[in-house]
Amino acid sequence: MVRSEEQLFRVFADVLNVEIASVTEALSPETFPNWDSLATVNLVAELEQAFGVQFDILEIVAFDNVGIVKSILMEKGVVF
Amino acid sequence: MQTPRGWPESVAGLVAAATESGRIAAIRDALKAIRALPQAQQGRLFRLGICRTFTVETRLDALTLGLATLPCRPEIIVGDLESIEQLLLDDRSAMLQAAPDALLVLWRLEELHSRLAFEHDAMNAEERERAATEVINRIESLCTQYVKVAAAPLFLSTLPRQSASSAGMNDVYSPHAPRHAILRINQTLLELAARNSQIHVFDFSGWAENAGALAFDLKMDLYARQPISSRLLMSFATALADSLRPLLVSPAKVLVLDLDNVLWGGVLGEDGVAGLKIGHDFPGNVYRRIQLHALALKRRGVLLALLSKNNFADVEQAFSTLPDMPLKLGDFAALRVNWREKDENLLDIAQELDLGPDSFVFVDDQSFERERMRFRLPEVRVLEASEDPLQTLHVLTQCRAFDTYRTSSEDKRRSSDYAAQAARRKLESNSQDPQAFLFTLQLQARIAEVEDATIPRAVQMLGKTNQFNVTTRRHTEADVRRMRAIRANILLLLSLSDRFGDQGIVGLAIALGDSASGKLTLDSFLLSCRAIGRGAEQALWSSLLARASAMGYTELHAEYLRTSKNQQVENLFERLGMARRESSTGEHRQYTLELPSHHPQPAWIDSIGEGVGTSGA
Repeated sequence: MVRSEEQLFRVFADVLNVEIASVTEALSPETFPNWDSLATVNLVAELEQAFGVQFDILEIVAFDNVGIVKSILMEKGVVF
Repeated sequence: MQTPRGWPESVAGLVAAATESGRIAAIRDALKAIRALPQAQQGRLFRLGICRTFTVETRLDALTLGLATLPCRPEIIVGDLESIEQLLLDDRSAMLQAAPDALLVLWRLEELHSRLAFEHDAMNAEERERAATEVINRIESLCTQYVKVAAAPLFLSTLPRQSASSAGMNDVYSPHAPRHAILRINQTLLELAARNSQIHVFDFSGWAENAGALAFDLKMDLYARQPISSRLLMSFATALADSLRPLLVSPAKVLVLDLDNVLWGGVLGEDGVAGLKIGHDFPGNVYRRIQLHALALKRRGVLLALLSKNNFADVEQAFSTLPDMPLKLGDFAALRVNWREKDENLLDIAQELDLGPDSFVFVDDQSFERERMRFRLPEVRVLEASEDPLQTLHVLTQCRAFDTYRTSSEDKRRSSDYAAQAARRKLESNSQDPQAFLFTLQLQARIAEVEDATIPRAVQMLGKTNQFNVTTRRHTEADVRRMRAIRANILLLLSLSDRFGDQGIVGLAIALGDSASGKLTLDSFLLSCRAIGRGAEQALWSSLLARASAMGYTELHAEYLRTSKNQQVENLFERLGMARRESSTGEHRQYTLELPSHHPQPAWIDSIGEGVGTSGA
């Protein structure tokens, strides 16, 4: 099943509580202070549920920006 | 998750969707819809303080939604990790300064004693014993000191079995597995709660057992010390809300049961007594379980009522001839077996038992009857029973409407009380002169100060009494503790008995004193419904005046605040000899009385007890 980038951005918008328009592939914990480790916990839960995948711990610590998360999802077989 | 009666279906739908998915956006939408409801439907502000040894703050929205459906307007304050004693035992801590309505401690053995949790097999028996005792001592001393500094109820969670435990054979057979320590600690928690009415238990471990292997998420536990799995957060929030419910919602008092296809299989009027299914074989055993559950509720103080469209003679015959019927007709505090509409019968029973329709839970397998009841009497809690008896058994055992923290001896006595009440009514109708009737009752009144053990009953009466209640102030347990701690205040309880039985504690007076000005103000004065009409208020009033006079007060102030239900006491203070201030209106009347003063004990009541006419402790 092909997933839209919008679905991915929607998860970030929900978890970080921002407008979807402000989510880009470059969005990262450095540029966005709301994205702390607790937000990452929620991101993992929401992404796992939305895309039907499981992340391992090494992948989670590599969540450095939206683009990287997208590429990890693609490695898991999610097609955008 | 159940939503309160009266919330629109659209909101209930959003809550159901959020509970189902647990997704952040769904929970946010549900909360937004709830916050848009009129404030009266949202309930009162309820502040919960959480002290914990692990992370819960990532998803406070889930906990907030769980509590909001009680209903209340929740505000959750989370304290710093692991600083439980600092937060709970220092009255200047940010936690206690926030004046929470309740406090919750969430903890695990993993943090309380990590060696016992992970290296128990490296310890010898004596060391393990000492380790468990250390944890128990810590919990006990937390409780002892907490009740001295704070008045809010404290909920201590039971420790769940380890989320990371291997649970292999080694764990099952090993005498030193941490489960033994956990059982011992949890047992202590239950004993602490049984001893002190300010301490409660939140059964975290019970939730974890029900939720099973998915309750905890080791990955997120190790990554962010957030053990409760995100997928099950709403289930956790529901369990937490269930355990706080009795603080906010008055429990229901009457279980109204239909007969055909609820208490037995089949329709009496069509199948005859011989065709009914009840007993030890399927499906009769399902109906038997329903009856056993109803009886268990009765033993806890819930009144049972039977509403059935049948011929009474047939029903009597079925109850007396069917073997394996746990329920007897005598178990029902009220029966309406006739062809009238069920809502009319229910109202009739409500009047007979002196209760409002909101005290009733209604069980009927017919959707027509349920819908009609919802439409005619929206205050009645209607369970989603069905023609499938397993569904009926399920909704009945899952029903939280009767939940209370403790069953007081008054609760357990309630069913026999109502039988005695019926006997009194009979005697009353036989006797002409009401005074003479009262003398035949051989009434005894007993007045005592509110004590630790009787605080829950005082709070219960404050919460439930509507009719004989001059101010209808719904004080919480914490409020009563606070008022009781001030020596200038007078808090009296009235117990009543007569030749038909002991009715237990049925009256309460609270007067707040100011020794400097000599002024005493009546805060609450109430009698439980089952004690009305016997002049018991005069016994309570007489003791209150005696005590107030002995304590040196010079004036007593009282007020009547009208509600839709308390008109029977609008002239009470006149009857008790107080002077009404001319400026005060019908809705809000104010009264004064100069002290010292005396009110005679009614001649038909024998007043006994420590405290009559002596000064307050």
